[in-house]
Amino acid sequence: MTNLSIDRRALLAGASVLSAGWLTARASAWTTPALFSQDSGRTLILLQLAGGNDGLDTVVPYGDDAYRRARPSLGLKKSEVLALDDYRGFHGSLKQLRRHFDAGRVAVIEGAGYPEPIRSHFRSFDVWHTADHRGRSAGDGWVGRLCDVAFKDTQNPNLVVHVGGSVPYSLHSASHPPASFVNPRAYRWAGGEAETDAYEKAGGMEPEEREKKPKKREGESSLDFLRRVLADGQQSSEQVRRAVANYRTPVDYPANDALAQSLADVAALVSGGIGTRVISVELGGFDTHTDERNRHDQLMRTLDAALGPFLDDLARSEAGRKAMVVLFSEFGRRVAENGARGTDHGVAGPMFVLGHDLKGGLYGKHPSLDKLDDGDLVHTTDFRSVYATAIERCFGVKHDKVLGAKYPLLQFA
Amino acid sequence: MLHRTLLLVVLAGSFGLSRARAQEPAPRAASGLEWNALHAEHLFNRAGFGARPNEIEFALRGSHEHFVEQLLVGFTAPADPLFIDLPEMPQRRDFESRDEFDRANDRFRREERRVLTSFAGWWIDQMIEGKHPLQERLVLFWHGYFTSSTRDVKRTGAMVAQNELFRRHALGNFAELVHAIVRDPAMLEYLDNNQNRKDSPNENLARELMELFTLGEGHYTEQDIKEGARALTGWRTTDDKAGSYFQARQHDAGEKTILGKTARFDADSFVDLLLEQPECPRWVARKLLVHFEGVEPEPKRLEEYAKFLRASNWELKPFFRKLFLDPRFYAKDVLAERISSPVEYLVGCTRRLGLTVPPQVIWLGAGQLGQRLFDPPSVKGWDGGEAWITTSTLLGRGNMAGMLIGVVKIEDVLREDPLEIEPDEGAMMDGDTMGGDVMGGDVMSGGGAKPDDKEKGGKRAAKRKVDLGPEMGGLQRFTNEFYFPRINLTARMQRAGATRDTQIVDQLGSELLPVPLSEASRAALLEFLRIERSGLALEDGKLHTAGVKAEDTLRRLAHLILSLPEAQLG
Repeated sequence: MTNLSIDRRALLAGASVLSAGWLTARASAWTTPALFSQDSGRTLILLQLAGGNDGLDTVVPYGDDAYRRARPSLGLKKSEVLALDDYRGFHGSLKQLRRHFDAGRVAVIEGAGYPEPIRSHFRSFDVWHTADHRGRSAGDGWVGRLCDVAFKDTQNPNLVVHVGGSVPYSLHSASHPPASFVNPRAYRWAGGEAETDAYEKAGGMEPEEREKKPKKREGESSLDFLRRVLADGQQSSEQVRRAVANYRTPVDYPANDALAQSLADVAALVSGGIGTRVISVELGGFDTHTDERNRHDQLMRTLDAALGPFLDDLARSEAGRKAMVVLFSEFGRRVAENGARGTDHGVAGPMFVLGHDLKGGLYGKHPSLDKLDDGDLVHTTDFRSVYATAIERCFGVKHDKVLGAKYPLLQFA
Repeated sequence: MLHRTLLLVVLAGSFGLSRARAQEPAPRAASGLEWNALHAEHLFNRAGFGARPNEIEFALRGSHEHFVEQLLVGFTAPADPLFIDLPEMPQRRDFESRDEFDRANDRFRREERRVLTSFAGWWIDQMIEGKHPLQERLVLFWHGYFTSSTRDVKRTGAMVAQNELFRRHALGNFAELVHAIVRDPAMLEYLDNNQNRKDSPNENLARELMELFTLGEGHYTEQDIKEGARALTGWRTTDDKAGSYFQARQHDAGEKTILGKTARFDADSFVDLLLEQPECPRWVARKLLVHFEGVEPEPKRLEEYAKFLRASNWELKPFFRKLFLDPRFYAKDVLAERISSPVEYLVGCTRRLGLTVPPQVIWLGAGQLGQRLFDPPSVKGWDGGEAWITTSTLLGRGNMAGMLIGVVKIEDVLREDPLEIEPDEGAMMDGDTMGGDVMGGDVMSGGGAKPDDKEKGGKRAAKRKVDLGPEMGGLQRFTNEFYFPRINLTARMQRAGATRDTQIVDQLGSELLPVPLSEASRAALLEFLRIERSGLALEDGKLHTAGVKAEDTLRRLAHLILSLPEAQLG
């Protein structure tokens, strides 16, 4: 009991040292809240590369003459890639990803895209976020729809989590709204200790009461609704912060890197047993119209430095080993470089699926660099096939119930 | 700035008046409704952004009818519009090198964003000042009804012009507003009417015009949309999106059959046809009633208001006069059930506290809580109601309130410009620039910053953000070094004669909450005060003698109150 209280006080204060007087004063008022869910199902982690990742500078077709012709100044030479075969190789900075690939933990889906591609960042993201060409007018985000199918009766506020600033539209849902925070340590009501005690009583419910709290019911008054969400929020905030505070890992994540720090927090949430099943993270900056070589190299280094240890970390727990990470971007870039040593908005690109419990390797088909559509690659795999495979694998529901149509499943899972 | 200072002086002069809570028999309106503090506060909540400390007293000096008339015309002369000086878009031909052009483009977008930020600040100032609260309330309503987003429109001039259009028509005539919106540059751009041409019609505007603006789903067919789109062909924006014009050669002048009528419809006759549909007044009246009452109207009452709106020839003032004098508008469920939007909440907190706050703080804050002005999440606008509230936004609302009161650090709560630009230097082959945050989020977390992006060179490249500069009014400017909440809660409680715990809780609760305090909340607040007092070794009734510690306690109490479930209503 006392340890738990120390823990709780530390959480409240966001600090680790507190006076003992406080503990004895209120220790008895505190009991461990039951976790919302001990469900040890698979967690899906979505990493969004915002801005339009240059797929041809990520999985590089270095063996293709057409590639070198189209990219006279930007193209990577054989010596600058980590060759997978005679045709393609990872960008030279993706060393750890290559290590994981060799261990069978990385599935690369080449040429992922969708018909009638859109070259606007926002509208193309809308297609990826809703899995529907109509975009937002089609309704909730695809993760929201997934939750409606797979977690119809689940009210766990930790179910869907976004670690970052603005929540992507994929998580948009009235029935399963995400918990979101830039830093889980700050996912809390920021009052002092005395106020926090009063806040719990005034707004929400006593811990014992929370466990019995009614699920959303018809005709619930707005005030009761607010009390219920507040109780959820207090509990969710505490569970999330506890999961992160208690997490210990020997894996070295690069310090001072936002993505790596976010992924370290994600690893804590995955193995924290707090019922989180979908987590979204973002890395921005991929809109490389100019000076692409430096900028994209840096992005690849950032990505590799964060994903390498993250996958190692996931290996340490059962929940981590069962997790699946999907990387996507709203579009690839044009095949030919532009006049500013960069590339403009294009169409198809590779997707990556990472995890310890999948069949790594190459999937789909590399798009032809000879048969272009107005200078753009033609997609060879619909990205919704990747969603479909992830949906069935991680959540055991029929993908067409979520996506509204059937897509061929891929063999990586 | 001068007008604001003057207003403050005026307010300060009447600060001492506590809210009268129907101590003497209140006059009854013709409707039979008692005109009291509860009802006056309700009107301030719904027809405006909450009441400042002295305003309920002011409202109760006259009759209910008199106050409603004032609401309809505004309390004082309107503020001058913001002086807007928009930059000119750079043209490639004016620049020798690509690099120079790119730099000019960057400067241009930054300047555009700066102007939008200033304008958002001006708008929020109008809400806070309350010269014409109902008008500003309706500008916000129409912004969520006839949505356009800067993410798609990408030009500040068009967004500002649309906002001013809403202000002009806010309490005008709905029919005129629909006619105006089908030629509004921001709307034409947002719903792709520039691509709606005789030979290749684009249905987007026609679809939303029927589905969201006039009729609602189920009252038209896909064929009606196709034919309606033809009627709207030819209306397009100028290249700079500052204006719109009708291009006759792109207009399909042929016969169209829409909703069973055949004619050579153009934009105006198409709109007139929609306004003639019996569904239209029902659709509009329902939207207005749900927004202002927070509950679904009974069918009979909806029918009454729909008929009234149509019979008043779409004039909005009679509609609101009727609504605000309707005893049903003051029924228990209407009083208690509406959840405020983030803008309403933050402006409401500011007004109820009697604060002056840099308006950008509210812009940023509301954006983080899910309501980014000038960037509704989709053409449907904001979902509203319970959709505003998630675990993250509810905790976040309390943190924002703490920030306004000064007990939570601004830099711990506000994250960044809600519309922060990611630079899209260089080629814009399709004219598509990153005019905003690439993530289409509409729900944001409450607070907390990652290790600062700015300090690490390496990360900067990975997450490039335009340095908005001090003039931007972004986060860097609004740390607590620049913001001191000018409140004196100790003095305020003493003036109201509230010294004992129960008096303090009731007085502050009444001043800061849009609805009465519940018993459970009241008990917890009393317990908080009791513990605080015993920590200071003070008897009940003596808190005010503790100087700065008393003020600190009262501010933390205010933070608690504004974090309560009750505070989210209004």
